[in-house]
Amino acid sequence: MAITVQRAVEDVSSPTVPASPVSPSRPPRVRRRNALTRAWGWTPGRLALIMAGLLGLMAVLGFVTVTTANTKSDATWELAEQHEPTAADVQRLYRALSEADATAASTFLAAQNASIELRKRYEDDIAVAGPTIGLAAVDRAGDPRVAREIEVIGRQVPVYAGLVEAARANNLQGLPIGAAYLREASHLMRTEILPAAERLYDIQTERVAQERDDAMRFPYLAAGLLLITLIALVATQIYLWRSFGRRLNVGMLIATGALVVGLIWSSVAFVLHASNAQSAEPERVAALAQARITALQARANELLTLVARGNGAQYEEQFDKLTTELAGKDGSSGTLATAREGAEGEVAAALANTAGATRSWLEGYREVRELDNNGRYDEAVERAVTEGATGSTAPAFAQLDAGLERALAASRDQFVDDIVAAARSLTLLTTGWAVLTVVAAGGVAYGLRQRLREYR
Amino acid sequence: MMRSRILSVLSACLVAATVAAGCGADVAPGSMVPVRPAERPLPGGVKLDPEVPKENKDNDCGDPTASLAPSGTSVPSGSTMDEIRKRGRLIAGVDQNTYLFGFRNPTTGELEGFDIDIVREIAERLLGDRSKVQFKALPASQRIDALKDGSVDLVAYTMTVTCERRKDVEFSSVYFESGQRILVAKGSDYKKVSDLGNKPVCAPAESTSLTNLAKEDPPPDLIAVDDLADCLLLLQQRQVEAVSTDDSILAGMAKQDPSVHVVGEQFSKEPYAIGIPKGNTDMVRYVNAVLDDIRNDEWDQLYGKWLEPVLGPAQPPAPKYR
Repeated sequence: MAITVQRAVEDVSSPTVPASPVSPSRPPRVRRRNALTRAWGWTPGRLALIMAGLLGLMAVLGFVTVTTANTKSDATWELAEQHEPTAADVQRLYRALSEADATAASTFLAAQNASIELRKRYEDDIAVAGPTIGLAAVDRAGDPRVAREIEVIGRQVPVYAGLVEAARANNLQGLPIGAAYLREASHLMRTEILPAAERLYDIQTERVAQERDDAMRFPYLAAGLLLITLIALVATQIYLWRSFGRRLNVGMLIATGALVVGLIWSSVAFVLHASNAQSAEPERVAALAQARITALQARANELLTLVARGNGAQYEEQFDKLTTELAGKDGSSGTLATAREGAEGEVAAALANTAGATRSWLEGYREVRELDNNGRYDEAVERAVTEGATGSTAPAFAQLDAGLERALAASRDQFVDDIVAAARSLTLLTTGWAVLTVVAAGGVAYGLRQRLREYR
Repeated sequence: MMRSRILSVLSACLVAATVAAGCGADVAPGSMVPVRPAERPLPGGVKLDPEVPKENKDNDCGDPTASLAPSGTSVPSGSTMDEIRKRGRLIAGVDQNTYLFGFRNPTTGELEGFDIDIVREIAERLLGDRSKVQFKALPASQRIDALKDGSVDLVAYTMTVTCERRKDVEFSSVYFESGQRILVAKGSDYKKVSDLGNKPVCAPAESTSLTNLAKEDPPPDLIAVDDLADCLLLLQQRQVEAVSTDDSILAGMAKQDPSVHVVGEQFSKEPYAIGIPKGNTDMVRYVNAVLDDIRNDEWDQLYGKWLEPVLGPAQPPAPKYR
């Protein structure tokens, strides 16, 4: 082949410049091909070429496997240490703002009898907003969708808090205008702030799912290279065996062994990694978070029917819609039931009495509505906000919320545990591949140099 | 000679370098955060371009305020009043959202106001005890229905007597003469409704208040709300220039905010009477007797307690009978 090329070059150059041998730019290339061809035709040269090729392949393999293992391990740790917590923080913000809407209504209804704990909870919920949107901003600086939601939350939460305080101040003075301020605040929360918080949460949840899928992706490049290198090693050994008639070349065997160890190690590690990452389902955490937020929003609507004093038809409709989503039409289906079905261990234990709590909450709600509709407003309010009153909706809801909170925490634990287990399975693989490829390269160099030395 | 040339070349280079270093676009001190003015939130259900109800020309009942003549405060057995006595309590449908007329005092949880006191006076005379009343707080849209299904004995609820309502319920004699006026910020130049042309004005949705305002030339920019309290909120936030509806309701708003006041003349007549289920004519006559009593006795005191500080002095309306 190379010879044909050389002839072709001579043919082209000979008619124009018959005296000069070849044009000055071409000879080195032709000569090198020539040299390579000549080296391949000569056994020691061929050995040197094989060695160079194998060592080059080994270097690329080392680089790719180390980078792949490192990237995967980093991505998995990052998922557990950064993306999941950020998503959880944004979810906490969404929950806190939903809770603020409910607690603001609750303290408003209880007026001067409002418990200091409830008041503090409202303040803590509002205090979560600033740092969380700061975190989200830092975490996803480049995403315009995130910037948009952060702007809405950042601009509107102070306005919301101002309206709630105006409502409280007017209410404590006995002025009915307070209720109008509270309804306006709640309207702002529902139509602007909560949708923005929900979208922000969706973006983060989506990201966790995506990062997990990325971390689980099969490393085709590294696997392909490993396969090629192994084939090259085996082919070289067959060649050596045929040409030199010696069965065993220790260096080459060490190189092959190192790569086989790497292959087995990686296979086990990646299977463990994938199966652990597979069992970490971000959808489960998201479903529980959504159930808890739905419950809080329903509770806010329950209380606002009372704040609205007879003009609360819209809140009643919302309550029915949200509780149907949460518990189904019959009180025993919906997102809660779905969450219970798939739950295991601690999550299942935490969810165990949420069904009962939901039922007594919804029963209590119907009694509250009954009282309010019959003009017994005072009793209705007492039923709705007094902790510990018999038949009151407050303790039933508190029980549901606490159950969901524990289930959510346990579910997050399970998720992070699985991700950490996945990350652990990749521990040392980076260093492992660095060492193994160096050993394999050493083996190749050692084994082929032995053969080469025979020609000196 | 040579040296000075080198020096001059060097200094020329220096000048050129200085100029070149100063090149490029000018940069003014910038900002990374676009500043937008704060958005004022609106209450839920605000209608910026509300439908204005057609004027009701249905005046075929003559003077709707003419009630049945009173026949004393005796309670014959078998009468509606007798039933209430046997039950031991009066059931009254009332408002709980209109400050000064029917509202819930948030500190006590009790219903208070001019309408509430009128009901208590009736209970006092009928049952001998002001507290023997079961108040049913109703939304305004439920007033007629509650009377129709008999779930209340009467409704005292800033209710204007109209021919249309007369078809469904009985009315007592008029106990309060209200009328539409305007509520504006103190210190503003608005003195009467005609000053408000093309200005944003808030009124309750689907009310005759909207109809009356739309008749002005030029008409104000109407903004309608489902809950009247939202009008005061919009005025406090200066998103509207005025609120316009019955002055009795405006009085309740003015009482809550010392920076606003009720101005101008009444430009509609809104006579308030107590609603009673159709057919309970004995109850109408009884209540009218009680109201006659109140006009001569407690009316001034009740008006003075609730409304005089905001609306100024007034006389009880003279009763009209068929």
